Amino acid sequence: MAYQWDFAPVVANAPLLAQGLVNTLKVTGVALACGLELGLAFALMRLSPKRWLSWPAGFIIEVFRTTPPLVQLFWFFFALPLIVGIEMTPFMAAAVTFSIQSSAFFAEVFRGGIVSIERGQWDGALAIGMSRLQALHRIILPQAVKRMIPAFLERSIELMKTTTLVATIAYADLLFAANEISQKTFRPLETFTVVALIYFVVITAFSLVARAFERRLAVSGESTVH
Amino acid sequence: MKWDFVSVFANTDALLAGLLGTLRLFAICLVLGLSLGLVVGLGRYARTRWLYWPASAFVEFFRNTPVLVQILWFYFALPILLPFEIGPLMAAALGISLNSAAFSAEIYRGGIQSIDRGQWDGARALGMGFIQAMRRIILPQAIKRMMPALTNRAIEIFKMSTLASAVAYVELLQQGKLIASLNYNPIEAYTTVAVIFFLLLWPLVQFTYVLERRLKRDE
Repeated sequence: MAYQWDFAPVVANAPLLAQGLVNTLKVTGVALACGLELGLAFALMRLSPKRWLSWPAGFIIEVFRTTPPLVQLFWFFFALPLIVGIEMTPFMAAAVTFSIQSSAFFAEVFRGGIVSIERGQWDGALAIGMSRLQALHRIILPQAVKRMIPAFLERSIELMKTTTLVATIAYADLLFAANEISQKTFRPLETFTVVALIYFVVITAFSLVARAFERRLAVSGESTVH
Repeated sequence: MKWDFVSVFANTDALLAGLLGTLRLFAICLVLGLSLGLVVGLGRYARTRWLYWPASAFVEFFRNTPVLVQILWFYFALPILLPFEIGPLMAAALGISLNSAAFSAEIYRGGIQSIDRGQWDGARALGMGFIQAMRRIILPQAIKRMMPALTNRAIEIFKMSTLASAVAYVELLQQGKLIASLNYNPIEAYTTVAVIFFLLLWPLVQFTYVLERRLKRDE
C-alpha cells in the first residue's frame, strides 16, 4: 500500500502559507519589541531596594516563567476580556501574552547582565556626577547588553516557536494555515510536512544568523568589559 | 463582577482526571525524552560519521521546529503512512519526547565534554572499555553538572504537556476548557488551572535554583 504523495494542492495554497508566515513574524516581532522594553522595566523594578517595586515585579516574573504559555494564552483570550470588559482579538491576546511571557524571561537576562557588571563601574559613574539612571543608561547597560546578546537571541528563537500556540485560538499564523489547508485539500501529510519544513528553514536561518553574530561578538571579546 | 469558584470545585473530578492525564504524559515524556536524549547525545559525541550525522540531523530538526507542529504532524500526518491510528496520547508523547530528546542530547553532550580528558585516560589505563568508562567514570561526574539543566528540561516537559490539549488529550488545560464551556465560567476555570500549574511547578523551579547555586559553590 504505497502512498501517492501529491504536493500540488499544497503548492496551490502557497498564498495562504505566505500570509500565515507573515502573521507568525508579526506576532513574534511585536512580542519581542514589547517584551524587551517590559523586560528591562521588570528587571529594574526587581533590582530596586524598594519592596513595593521589587515584589510585584518578582511575582509577575515568577508566575509567567512557571506557568505553561498555553495556559497564559487561554487566560488572556478567554478570561481577561470578561474581567476588563474589552473584546480581545486573537492577535491582541497573543501579543499581550507573549509580550509579558517573554518579558519575564528577558527580565532575568537583564538582571543577570546588570548584576554581572562590577560595582566599581557604578561608583565611577556616580563619582563623576551622573544620576543612577544616567549611570545605568550610559555606563552599565552598554556593557551589560553585550554579555546578554546570546541569551536574547536564544530566547527570541524560543519565542518564535512558542507563537505557534496562537493557532489554538484561531489566529491565522502559519500553523493555523496548515490546519486550514489540510482540511480543505484532505492532504494532511503533505501540508504538515511542508509547514514543518518551512518552520525548520526559517528557524534554522535565524539560529545560524544568531550563531554568526555570537562568534563575531566572541572575537571582539569581553575585553571591553574587563 | 462576581467570582464563582464553586462551579469549578463542583468539577473536581474532571480536574483530577486532567491532573492524572498531565502526570501520565509528563512521566512518559520525561523517561522517553531523557533516555533517548542520552543515546542521541552519545551519538553526537561519537567520532564515527554514521553515528554523528544522523544524531546531529535529529537534534537540529527537532530543535528547530516548534513542538506543537511536531505533535500535529504525528497526529494528522503520520497515520496516513501507517497501517494504524495514532491516538492523542501517542501523538503528544511522540512529539514532546522526541523534542525533549533533542534538547537533552545537547545537555548530555555538553556535560560529557566538560569532563577532563585525563579522566578518560585514567579509565582506559585501568583497562576499562568505552562503555565501562562512560558508565562508571564519566557519566557520574557529568550528571552532577547536568542536573540543573536536566531539571529545567523536566519543567519544560511539564509545561509542554498542555499542548496535548490541541489534539484533545485529557489533561488539565483540556479539562479547564471543558469546565469553562459547560459552566460559562472561563475566568474561574482558567485561573484555577493556572494556579494548579503554578503550585505544581513552583517547588520544582525553586529546586533548580538550589541546584544551580550548589553547583556554582562546588566548582
